[in-house]
Amino acid sequence: MAAHFKGRPILKKTSLHDEHVALGARMIEFHGWSMPLSYNSVIQEHHSTRNDCGIFDVSHMGQVFVRGKNAAAYLQYVTMNNIHKLTTGKAQYSALLYETGGFVDDIIVYMLEAEHYLVCINSANLDKDVTWLSRHNKNFQADIRNASNLWSQIAVQGPKTLEVLGRLDAKLSQKVRDLDFMAVTPYQWQGVECYVARTGYTGEFGVEIYLPNTIASSFWRASLEAGAKPIGLGARDTLRLEAGLLLYGNDMNETVNPIEAGISWALDLDTDDFIGRSALVDYKNHKSAPQRKLVCFKLNEKGIARPGMDVYANDKLVGKVTSASILPSLDCSGGFALVDAEASGMLQELEIDIRGKRKLAQIHKRPLYSSRTRLPS
Amino acid sequence: MKYPTDLKYSKDHEWIKKDGANFSVGVTQYAVEQLGDIVHLELPEVGASFNAGDPFGTIESTKTVSDLYLPVSGKVTETNLELAESPESLQNQETGEAWLVKIKASAPESSELMTAEQYEKFISED
Repeated sequence: MAAHFKGRPILKKTSLHDEHVALGARMIEFHGWSMPLSYNSVIQEHHSTRNDCGIFDVSHMGQVFVRGKNAAAYLQYVTMNNIHKLTTGKAQYSALLYETGGFVDDIIVYMLEAEHYLVCINSANLDKDVTWLSRHNKNFQADIRNASNLWSQIAVQGPKTLEVLGRLDAKLSQKVRDLDFMAVTPYQWQGVECYVARTGYTGEFGVEIYLPNTIASSFWRASLEAGAKPIGLGARDTLRLEAGLLLYGNDMNETVNPIEAGISWALDLDTDDFIGRSALVDYKNHKSAPQRKLVCFKLNEKGIARPGMDVYANDKLVGKVTSASILPSLDCSGGFALVDAEASGMLQELEIDIRGKRKLAQIHKRPLYSSRTRLPS
Repeated sequence: MKYPTDLKYSKDHEWIKKDGANFSVGVTQYAVEQLGDIVHLELPEVGASFNAGDPFGTIESTKTVSDLYLPVSGKVTETNLELAESPESLQNQETGEAWLVKIKASAPESSELMTAEQYEKFISED
């Protein structure tokens, strides 16, 4: 929980906080952090990322390093994906689950080298995740180090990413050109060891760079000088919604399981035991629990869907919007809704209750907007 | 930022412009700047009646939705459908340029409405 001073929370600051203030960003409180919502216009920042190159401070995300001879066995036990399919230099989308099958958090696991992993976790879940990870380490004795306070994270995303990186450091752009989607490689900025990963939260070609706090400002400034546009959390949200990427706390939480959330592709039940596995096997076989489905939708009419709005199908209340906004690249509103599986299976249309007026929405397969996430030709 | 002196202003950041017995109603540039990117406007039906202070529509930015409050009592005679089609154009207009609705007043305007000078002082303290 955030500390307080005279009744007001003391917000955590990333190592780039002063850079955002100097750029005139509108700062907001985000899960105990002071973060840039926007530098000028959310919509312009969205289009800058889709058409050019955006740079995002995502240092509020948590970084946990896991090492040791039992590191793989331990990660297999606490994550839902098959860790044995992960090879050195690759990344894997996964999740920490409760015994019930509900989410503790969704994560990315990077295999940096043999017996050495980096786990990227959500800022809102940092303390909870670190406690959870430690609690289940007793039988494995993996070396778990929460480095979140020491590491920064900068995302560089958009079709002009390689050009920007090329102006920054020709070696870096060559490295990224050779890097597959969902791959990671070590990199040195000013002689300091970092990691560059072909991952992101925008649906665009791009990288996420993990770097020690001491060199974050220098990399940030150099990226801006090389032509990257600073992008705030507002556009980060509209970009990830269009890309069909989930947000913990909105689209899933401890009451939602990965099958309902539509990320079964990152779930491997045919592997060694892991926390949550037996509950999910039951859910799949017996269909005991009420079946729900997280669906993507686009609003057919004018209006803006927002989280918490009621969703109807054939005049029956079937669920709620979990996250939604304007979608600038699609020129409409849309997002995710958690609805009865029957409604999502049988129907193509939903109605969203926007302050008493029902507006027609179309169920859409993910992503709502797709662009090249592979290497541009 | 300069606010036209022929308009009156409410604490909810709406402006009115008198035109005989009718009023044009809009939102101030200050409100637009606070909201950020304007993405949607919900305006009332022509013929609807409101009391001063009633919400008559909504204005939405990328992050929030805010109610629009009518500074005068009366009946809606016209709505700016062109503006509702492209609400983002509000960001490029001066205060007083883009009206949202026209109202046939049913009561005199409130003495609580501010002059341009008072409004500028009001927002500088906001």
